[in-house]
Amino acid sequence: MKKILASVLALALGTSLLAGCSSGGNEPEEPTAQGGKVKLKAIMTKHPLTQKFENMKWLQDAEEKAGVDIEWQEVSADWDQKKGAMLASEDIPDLIVGVNSITDSDFAQFPGLFQDLSGMIDQYAPNVKAMFDAKPETKIIATQQDGKIYGLPKYQRFWPDTATRQFINKDWLDRLGLQMPMTWDELFDVLKAFKDKDANGNGDPNDEIPMDFAPTGTVAFGYFMPTVLLGSEGITLSDGSGSGYFVEDGQVKNFFIDDRYKELVKFLNKCFSAGLINPEVFTQDYTKYQSVARGKGNTASVGFTWGWEVTDRFGNAVSPQYTAMAPLKFTADSTVQQSWSYDYNTLNYGVNTVQMSAASKHKEAAMKFINELYNPEVSMQVLFGSLGTNIKDNGDGSFAVLPPQDQAMDPGTWKWTSTWADNGPMYIADSLKLTLGTDMQSVGKQTEPMQKVLNSIDKDNDVFPNLFIKYSAADNSTMALANTAFVPMALAKWSQWITKGGVDKEWDAYVENCKKTGLLKNIEIMQKYYDDYKSKL
Amino acid sequence: MILTHRKRRSTGDVLFQVMVAALCVLIFLIVAYPLYFVVIASVSDQSLVSTGQVTLYPKHISFFGYQEIFKDARIWTGYKNTIIYTVLGTAVNLLFTLPAAYVLSRKEFRARRFIMFAFVVTLFFNGGLIPTYLLMKQLHLTNSMWVFIIPFSVNVYNLIIARSFFEHSIPKELHEAASMDGCSHFTFFVKIALPLSKAVVSVIALYYLVAHWNDFFTGLIYIQSNSLQPLQIVLRDILLSNQVFSSGAGSGGAAGGYAQQYADQVKYAVIIVSTLPILMVYPFIQKYFEKGVMIGSVKG
Amino acid sequence: MISRSGPKYKKAAALPKARKQTVLNTFRRDHQLWIMIFPAIVVIFIFNYIPMYGIQLAFRDYSFTKGLTGGEWRGLFYFRQFFENYMFVDLMKNTVVISVATIVLSFPAPIILALLINQVRLKRAKKTLQTTVYLPHFISTVVMVGLLSVLLSPNSGIIGHLLQWFGLGDVNLLGSTKTFVPVYVLSEIWQHGGWNSIIYLAALSTVDPQLYDSAKMDGASRWQTIRYVDIPALVPTIIILFVLSMGSVLGTGFEKVFLMQNPLNLPVSEVIATYVYKIGIISSQFSYSAAIGLFNTVINFIFLFIMNMIAKRFSDISLW
Repeated sequence: MKKILASVLALALGTSLLAGCSSGGNEPEEPTAQGGKVKLKAIMTKHPLTQKFENMKWLQDAEEKAGVDIEWQEVSADWDQKKGAMLASEDIPDLIVGVNSITDSDFAQFPGLFQDLSGMIDQYAPNVKAMFDAKPETKIIATQQDGKIYGLPKYQRFWPDTATRQFINKDWLDRLGLQMPMTWDELFDVLKAFKDKDANGNGDPNDEIPMDFAPTGTVAFGYFMPTVLLGSEGITLSDGSGSGYFVEDGQVKNFFIDDRYKELVKFLNKCFSAGLINPEVFTQDYTKYQSVARGKGNTASVGFTWGWEVTDRFGNAVSPQYTAMAPLKFTADSTVQQSWSYDYNTLNYGVNTVQMSAASKHKEAAMKFINELYNPEVSMQVLFGSLGTNIKDNGDGSFAVLPPQDQAMDPGTWKWTSTWADNGPMYIADSLKLTLGTDMQSVGKQTEPMQKVLNSIDKDNDVFPNLFIKYSAADNSTMALANTAFVPMALAKWSQWITKGGVDKEWDAYVENCKKTGLLKNIEIMQKYYDDYKSKL
Repeated sequence: MILTHRKRRSTGDVLFQVMVAALCVLIFLIVAYPLYFVVIASVSDQSLVSTGQVTLYPKHISFFGYQEIFKDARIWTGYKNTIIYTVLGTAVNLLFTLPAAYVLSRKEFRARRFIMFAFVVTLFFNGGLIPTYLLMKQLHLTNSMWVFIIPFSVNVYNLIIARSFFEHSIPKELHEAASMDGCSHFTFFVKIALPLSKAVVSVIALYYLVAHWNDFFTGLIYIQSNSLQPLQIVLRDILLSNQVFSSGAGSGGAAGGYAQQYADQVKYAVIIVSTLPILMVYPFIQKYFEKGVMIGSVKG
Repeated sequence: MISRSGPKYKKAAALPKARKQTVLNTFRRDHQLWIMIFPAIVVIFIFNYIPMYGIQLAFRDYSFTKGLTGGEWRGLFYFRQFFENYMFVDLMKNTVVISVATIVLSFPAPIILALLINQVRLKRAKKTLQTTVYLPHFISTVVMVGLLSVLLSPNSGIIGHLLQWFGLGDVNLLGSTKTFVPVYVLSEIWQHGGWNSIIYLAALSTVDPQLYDSAKMDGASRWQTIRYVDIPALVPTIIILFVLSMGSVLGTGFEKVFLMQNPLNLPVSEVIATYVYKIGIISSQFSYSAAIGLFNTVINFIFLFIMNMIAKRFSDISLW
């Protein structure tokens, strides 16, 4: 076998001489201490726009301070494929960085591959310890079922209670002399007026898109979708409730088989049939969804929609026409406690942002580096960029995020190009005095109209704590199989009912089908974990 | 060309010629327009592209996509690596595949059916990524340029095509005559079979070439060092190739929303940057498809 | 040296006194052939056959600590899990429809294209056309699907506008269970037809020009020349490629189908490959996906095997 291989290689080497190429297949060298610095290898899953790590001043400083010199492999595509081979062959670097780059089920599937950090934190990572002390929930989301800590979480503090804000074109309302809608029926009437009249005032009464929402996809619901309207009927979505699961008075349920979801589908079907929803709403991609809302020049195209932030959603030209609006009531006399999608946890916490190889030869040094990242003043640079270029030190212990140096770029994109941003490990301590950039300030402002509803959500009994629950590998797998079986089918029905109708006729059979695929079993599993979680609070 | 005697054309043939011309123009337009669209989309404002306002000429011209690609220093290393892997890899491929294809085309070769069957099986059954990765690691091929060149240097599909050509386009009498003259298999293969099969050799070469050129998977799985990464990996890193894969595209806090329009322009530019070099190679290969190559070489 | 090879030799084999030819007793005679094929055998053995022990993952649980061959033996458990799956029938149906439609419709396209290009007499026009049609092959799937959604959009796409012209404006080509397969297959042909015609062009280039001359002298029309000179020259290639294409009856690619999916076309666009991917996003199911993969492979191989037998029976052309 060896001989055969040798001859093959000899043949190949022969041809390489022809090409005059001499670089051979060398094994990666052992990381060695050099000039007092410990050499480490690390992988980070970063955003494609993020600049080279060697240009990030804060990172160089952090490495310097921890006495390490890290050779980074920056990955921004196809991570899952790469990860599988890497883990199965135990070929991992000292550190792997990036939110959920390694998942809890990876830890379960590849035992012994990652270092249990729980014993090292007290000794080498006072900053991580400080985070665990000040924010005990971070310790909960870091701790696996067996009590070990393989991946460290992040806490980024400033993000709002929900990802989805609701926008309406105020100029159109004013032009047509309409009131801000408060209920589903009023919304319908407003949209109808948008459709029938020349709401944008360009002389063409047919180029208005009264309502648009993000492409549903075929895997799960996401943000900026009409599922937030379920809040009008009292359903609190948790982190978007992509697969439909939510909690109500301590009971785990799934809206896909809930009559209130049927009501929503009927309402949307009514809107769609009346031509009030973008006819391409299920076929456009996210790019188009965003582009359409930018209008043409100063003429807006979309009347009512959902998004993250107004300039992000509509572009600079037409965004002043829009205003954020409060959640709608189901009917004027509805007494249902209104709700919305509560996403605070998923927006402010992240699991497994950094993990260490159990085979690392320099665990202390690696831990020291990790500790540096969790220093709140370093963390804020992880999130927004280096002091000097991206953050201003006011000199009095307070800081301010600077506007983009590149005038043409918006603050959000600027952040992503400058630094690890939301992908990094971080602890933005509540005590840190930091003034945010304009983008985050306006997100805050646009959340205000719905803040009352968000505040009234009973976080203990109506929000499913996705992030805080760790399932066993077996349960995780059972749930995955059932969800893959019913969610795509349900999403297909959702789009079909909205565009073509028929929900009343098919509903009962559909609910039966959903149940057949193991939906009820999933609810049972989640209820068990949820009760367990609550009993430990 | 030379064969068409213009003076004695029947009406049927004229009609035929007109039909051919019309069909060709139609096909050309159907194929060329979307290609042209990719070019103009790569320099236009993406909001206008996706809302269908860019149709015949670019609008709001910006070279952001190209800037984004070429400001990444790795692109040049990527080009260099890919050229090395492609040239060397294709050479090894041909060296291993063509003789084997010739052998399998020889009817007197007794093991032919068994070996062919064993080869075809590998088109279907494989052990999966993990055992393959472990093997590469044991052979010290991971994180080495040889992983692009040695493994899978025989593509069975290409082998079958080459064999089929050798079987059907080399007249049997030729080998008979040659062996009468005491010509060995080596000599016959090099001196007669190969020159007669320039067309298929160039097709197989093109297949291998393009496969190496487009190969990102090898780099993705087996290479850690940035200095060894091929062009396609560099480009994929720049391109938000998995943008649509991320659940709920623009999940609030994440980059989706903001960076989307930048990313979209890059995706068209990437096509141009990665395809141009291949476009330049094609004419050199195309000339071997000219008619009459075969007879010329036999007589000559 | 090897003067016994060739057709002449075959006659000798037919004589009763000739010994039966075996690998062993022809080894000396064919040793040069063995040398020429040796590198290919080595490479395929090492890189394709050695890792094949991984196939047993489909019958075992994956165990990281005990290695690929050490997990608990589950027999056909994962296969049964797939067959008993709620979606199995739909997945199979969709997969077969998409791939068979692709094979049947996109197979003749490159042949026709090659014959057509071969008829172009203007050298420059021929080269331009040839280069243009092979270019779409290099467009990545992500961009290809992006192009489709821009060009086919009923509101803003150029093809959408064309359809409105013909009074078909209400059809959303991207979001209908009826149009998914046609759009998929036609775009496949658009993208790969030119590239796939290359091999046929190469085959046409081997036609002896004297044949064209004699056809001309016999007064054959252009059409007849194609029928009796060009097409026969393509037949061996056509048969071999057709047999090979039968090996992908369950082989829809993953990426393009996945990217083209939306909830409206999902009832016809959910295929085995996308289903496996969706399970994988939520939790890695090594054994389950290995089992589904093996099932696919076996079915594909059976189809290839049968097709090869048919080809051998009727044309004496076969893969092995």
